[in-house]
Amino acid sequence: MISAQKLTKKFGNILALDAVSFDIAPGEFVFLTGPSGSGKTTVLRLIMRDLKPDAGKLVLFGPAKIHEYRRTIGTVFQDFKLLLDRNVYENTALPLEIMGAAAVDIDKAVKKALELMGLTARTDLFPAQLSGGELQRAALARAIVARPKLILADEPTGNLDPKTARAIVNLLTTLHSQLQTTIIMATHNADIVNHLDRRVISLDAGKVIKDTPKGKYD
Amino acid sequence: MIKHLPLAWQRIRRSPYQALAAVSIMTMSLFLGSVFFLLAAGSQAVLTYFETRPQVNAFFKSDLVPTPQAVDLIKTNLQATNLVADVKYISKEEALKLYKELNKSDPLLLEAVTANMLPASIEVSAKNPADLKPIAELLKVQPDIDDVRFAEDIVSQLAKWTSSVRLIGFSLVGSHLIITFIIILLIISIKVANRRDEIVLHELLGATSGYISTPFVWEGIIYGVTGAFIAWGVSYLILLYSTPFLAGFLAGIPILPVSLWFMFSLLGGELLLGAVIGAVGGFLAVRRFLKV
Ligand SMILES: Nc1ncnc2c1ncn2[C@@H]1O[C@H](COP(=O)(O)OP(=O)(O)O)[C@@H](O)[C@H]1O
Ligand SMILES: [Mg+2]
Repeated sequence: MISAQKLTKKFGNILALDAVSFDIAPGEFVFLTGPSGSGKTTVLRLIMRDLKPDAGKLVLFGPAKIHEYRRTIGTVFQDFKLLLDRNVYENTALPLEIMGAAAVDIDKAVKKALELMGLTARTDLFPAQLSGGELQRAALARAIVARPKLILADEPTGNLDPKTARAIVNLLTTLHSQLQTTIIMATHNADIVNHLDRRVISLDAGKVIKDTPKGKYD
Repeated sequence: MIKHLPLAWQRIRRSPYQALAAVSIMTMSLFLGSVFFLLAAGSQAVLTYFETRPQVNAFFKSDLVPTPQAVDLIKTNLQATNLVADVKYISKEEALKLYKELNKSDPLLLEAVTANMLPASIEVSAKNPADLKPIAELLKVQPDIDDVRFAEDIVSQLAKWTSSVRLIGFSLVGSHLIITFIIILLIISIKVANRRDEIVLHELLGATSGYISTPFVWEGIIYGVTGAFIAWGVSYLILLYSTPFLAGFLAGIPILPVSLWFMFSLLGGELLLGAVIGAVGGFLAVRRFLKV
């Protein structure tokens, strides 16, 4: 599904990624770990073709046209990127609206996603009225609403209490097992990584320092 | 992409002052456009009228009632040149009748004039406008003729005036339209900048550039179309209001009232112009922010 060979990305003088290589097969659940600034977000941005590598090769599967390709991906952004002038329902509906889905289909899918995220009672609220956990779940609802083949989740448990964080990860694993969605989750939540026993790609200072099939966080 | 129209409208309503500025400048420019277009079309019509009526008028001395023999002699002399299509004698009484007809709305002018004060005249239509001069020369030397007028002076005067109207109109309206375009571009650019985060998100979620730019293009079109309607309506009202006055001024030249068809074509032209300026302004404003 994704094949990265010696990916290098620089921002001016900053070497964000330094010859990073990995392969991810369809249907995999992968943790991308590493301290802050290690390059996790940069990897995800390269995968969603928001950035171009300065060197190396990134083979991505899916449509060649960027907009079509992105429609196959659901992203939970580290900073959520929820639109402040739209309520939870409208934010969640956005990917389907952009695809030009029919109103009835949008309504069905949005209600289902919000139910899955436990946000049914929050549909009319605006982002400013939501708690941190609710924001995170709204972002996740938007990421899954269009049934993507690939979910990129950038620290989706970022500033959540352990219980809510666990609940979110359970949702992701459910999606993964039920719909065979490929999931790449950037995190530095050791508790979750250790609990799940999944593949872990560890980054540090822009380098892959470890890639283990049933990894632990360290 | 029509489904983006309500969205554009909603965004316009959220910033009424920007909309007011955009529509005002659009209206202003298109109104100028209307005025100059009507002026140019009007003077062109008057010019054509004179050009297609190759006439010479020869006036007898105003204290003189020419004898039929004198008139016949002049007629014969004219026919002999073979340049003449038609010759008409207009007596003092007929001149008064014409005068009354032209000034029927102005009783003051009517009272002051009697048949005696008006000269009798001969109206000569040439076969060819180029022959007006020799005909005029011939008439000047006929007995009892006081003054000879023909359209050449009027035509050349009018032609000058028409071309200056066109030139001034073109540069004035053109420069206003350019300024309008820049202001529309600026106003929509501000809105695009305010929505930068949204645009970035739309791109990341797989929106086409068309999806992102269409609402802004519609916004520009709405400004243009609204401005065009107002500009056209105002200029039409002014024209209707001043038609009686202008008709008096243009005594006998049949270009008024302006036909509805003509006014609707003007409206069509202005709508198109306004919409294109608005659309291009909106498109360029948003294009700068698009990455994909
Ligand atoms: N847009 C950018 N401009 C400049 N530097 C950046 C930019 N994005 C990321 N970086 C730098 O690249 C490095 C990796 O960043 P990032 O991928 O966001 O790390 P992580 O997500 O693991 O915290 C950091 O040193 C960061 O400062
Ligand atoms: Mg990050």
